[in-house]
Amino acid sequence: MTPAGRTRTRLVLRDLSATAAFASIVLSGSVPAWALVAYGLALLTSLLGRRPLTGRPTVSVILLLLTAVVLFGASFRGMIDLVVAACTFAGLVTSHRLLSEPTSGTDQQVHLTSLLMLAGGAALTGELWYGLCLSAFAVTSSISLGLSVIEPEGGSSEQLEVRPLVRSISAGTLIALLGAMGFFVLFPRLSWNIASRRTPPGLLGGTTGMSDSVRLGGAGDIKSSPRAVARVKVRPDPGSARLDAYFPGRSFDVFDGREWRGTGKAKPSRQMVRLVKELPRKTVSQSIELLPGYGSRTLLGLEHPVTFTAGSALTATGVTRTAFTEVPDEEVRIDQASNGYSYSVSSAPELQRETLEDAERYQRLPDALDPRVKALADQVLGAETRPLASATALQRYLQREYAYTLELGGDVADPLADFLFVRKAGHCEHFATALTVLLRTRKIPARVTAGFFGGERVGSAYVLRAGDAHAWTQVFVDGRGWVTVDATPASGRGNQPPRLLAWLASTYERLEDWWRARVVDYSFQDQVDIARSLVSPPREASSSRWSLPALPGLWPTLAALAAAIAVYGAVQRGWGARRGKRHAATGFLEQIEARLDRAGIARLPGEPLEELTARLSQIAHPIAPALSRATRAYLLARFGNQSLPATERAALLQALVRRDAPSSLTPSHP
Amino acid sequence: MTALPPTGLSVSPRELLERVATQLSAVVLGKTQQVKLAVTCIAARGHLLLEDVPGVGKTTLAEGLARAFSLSYARIQFTADLLPSDILGAQIFHQARGSFEFRPGPLFHHVVLADELNRAPPRTQSALLEAMGQGQVSLDGVTHPLPRPFVVVATQNPVDLSGTYPLPDSQLDRFLVRLSLGHLSPELEAELVQSRRTDPIATMKAAATGHELEALQAAADQVRVDPEIAQYAVRLAGATRNHAEIERGASTRAVLALVAAARAHALWDARDFVTPGDVRALLTPALAHRMMLKSALQGTFSRDEAGLLLEEIAKKTPAPR
Repeated sequence: MTPAGRTRTRLVLRDLSATAAFASIVLSGSVPAWALVAYGLALLTSLLGRRPLTGRPTVSVILLLLTAVVLFGASFRGMIDLVVAACTFAGLVTSHRLLSEPTSGTDQQVHLTSLLMLAGGAALTGELWYGLCLSAFAVTSSISLGLSVIEPEGGSSEQLEVRPLVRSISAGTLIALLGAMGFFVLFPRLSWNIASRRTPPGLLGGTTGMSDSVRLGGAGDIKSSPRAVARVKVRPDPGSARLDAYFPGRSFDVFDGREWRGTGKAKPSRQMVRLVKELPRKTVSQSIELLPGYGSRTLLGLEHPVTFTAGSALTATGVTRTAFTEVPDEEVRIDQASNGYSYSVSSAPELQRETLEDAERYQRLPDALDPRVKALADQVLGAETRPLASATALQRYLQREYAYTLELGGDVADPLADFLFVRKAGHCEHFATALTVLLRTRKIPARVTAGFFGGERVGSAYVLRAGDAHAWTQVFVDGRGWVTVDATPASGRGNQPPRLLAWLASTYERLEDWWRARVVDYSFQDQVDIARSLVSPPREASSSRWSLPALPGLWPTLAALAAAIAVYGAVQRGWGARRGKRHAATGFLEQIEARLDRAGIARLPGEPLEELTARLSQIAHPIAPALSRATRAYLLARFGNQSLPATERAALLQALVRRDAPSSLTPSHP
Repeated sequence: MTALPPTGLSVSPRELLERVATQLSAVVLGKTQQVKLAVTCIAARGHLLLEDVPGVGKTTLAEGLARAFSLSYARIQFTADLLPSDILGAQIFHQARGSFEFRPGPLFHHVVLADELNRAPPRTQSALLEAMGQGQVSLDGVTHPLPRPFVVVATQNPVDLSGTYPLPDSQLDRFLVRLSLGHLSPELEAELVQSRRTDPIATMKAAATGHELEALQAAADQVRVDPEIAQYAVRLAGATRNHAEIERGASTRAVLALVAAARAHALWDARDFVTPGDVRALLTPALAHRMMLKSALQGTFSRDEAGLLLEEIAKKTPAPR
């Protein structure tokens, strides 16, 4: 590689490493858009090889002062977080440096600001993306640093083999990364997520699977997003790969012809909500974590939720306990607005309810209902009046006669009539609305419930995705309570992203789950668990199912150990092949050199022992006689094909140490 | 220290070398390092090239070498009209016997000083260099072996190049070691001017015999070269070939010469094995004149630059440890 090419490679790698660091703060979604644009422009200019700010200190000072004033002014007025402001400033300083004269000093400043950004990124986000950025930064910046170190002074045009150097630097980086991972696993740390964002993330957050009302109409396509919005741990664990269960969130009673709304009155908030007077015997308890993508405060639970407890919100100041507000027969929501929540809910699948007090609330029809709707219900049901039989008959009819589509029909005056009589195709909200309204025309109490349908196993939990959002009908059956009747064809329930996207999403989920479990949320307790699983004998087979969560701590440790040994072996073999077998006398040489360093003998840079000995002998240095003997013995052992007895070796080293002793001692050690 | 293999010497090679060097240093003042390298060159059966301005002791060194080993000595002043037969000798018709008879030229001596070698026409130069390479002279189909040991000490004046025939690189390659003596320090020069009245060469005593030189050369052959030392020498040569500022680096013959000279150098330290230090000590003397730099014009001398580059290469090429 030519020196010019080497310099170019170094600068490109430097730019990439800075970009990886910048990306780590951008991914938190907090960086102002203008800073993003400024950095992007600077990066592009730098990659094109232009450095317009070279030798323009006045412009630089004005630019930096301006950005500092703008950013910290904004921070002072509370528009952005101080950490974000500092990170953004570091990013802008980096972009300024990218456009300055590319000396090794500039490189060091870029690496320094990149490290600052990484530190900020760690405070702002703790997601898997951050880990990827960190790895990218580690690799590119160390190669770039290595190249800047070997850059000869004054641009001499000597040839240098870069490839082996890059190879060994990469190997070193790999080992460092593995070591860092080991460090991460073995030592507890602050969870970054706890001290995280005050506002929902901008770039990767914000998509929601749950809305506060169900509104028909609109134009375009519904995006079936695979983004995870909730994580559910079910006890007892059903163990299946897919849960395919309904997670009702909110029920709606009033339909105005276009939109479903809830009209319930909120009760005073409580730390624990119980929806029934008497707890049923059979319940399923769930620990649910609502992720930032959820975007709502409505709580989910398997059918039929009976108690909500242990609510906590992940806020900027940490995890805080939070209370619940119940809106009877409509929803339970968490009080505090935050990024994410966790809570426990227990559900009674066979909950029974004898009567419905305010039945007419669920029989009310919109004022301007198309008369064809009632005619259709009468035509399908005939003389049937039993609620459940009516519901299933209508469900079969709708599933048979109507098609499922994610394409929206556009805003029309009467979306329900449009669905039933014109398009004859729609999505879950159309089917749920149609079934509910058709039932209500027959005076059967029914309501629309929005929530999620699905549950894909990732690790030990089930994940709900934004695309799993669903709406369905619940019909009240005397003596049984609310019964779910889903008019949507089975193909239209749940998440339907393209196959590749689904695969990518689930791979990402798995990685992120691993990252969260092993890195971000790794606690002291987990380490204790590892230690315990290592020292204590395996438990009996009957309870082995319950000890499963503790076991995964053991095998990554073993895997990491095996990987480290393998890497060490490979590196040893690689170096051994390149450098040949290490000679026995080389150790002696290193001991001599160590003694010389300890004795404070100044050596010229790169001066071999032979030359040093000759130089010291010439100036009659006090150590010269002893050193000459040692050097000679080393040379004889190394190149003269002679063995060096350990006793002689020790004596020679001893003589080196004793050089300051009075000369009278020397004869006693011939 | 290990005993050297029997070489027919009454003293150790080191003592012999020191003795010769001491004698030589008495006539070539203040040039300990150069004297040492010159003796090393001869011990390695090599020919010596001295490049320097006139009057710094090139001839004295060459003649001193001959005398120190009590060898026969001849000096040939190379001029533009010198013919090959002037140095090799010629077939002379013997009238009395009625037959041709070979009359050996001045080349038939143990030590030959080829003064101002680059002034002779290429024909004569190549005749000398062929003799140096083969150790014999072929004339009219008859081969005449040169005496052994046979050492050519050639001199060149690097400053006054007008009217010279610069030696081709292939011929420079035949010299094992190239040295320049340089001016004396003012103190030594003053001492010399004050003390010297007669030519010290005339009164110089021999320090060794020709047989002893042969034994010395045999001892140098016996010096062991560790495989890693050989690899080190090859690495150094390889570095000269890949260097950006060097047009043509060291050849395989150059590496052979380097190792041969390093072998002889090891004898100074009473060793029977070569160390990396030996190789480094001979790097510039043995290689500098064999390399062509990109910066140098054809036929000019750029030994100093080459020497600096070689020092740099020695620093950057990792030695076996």
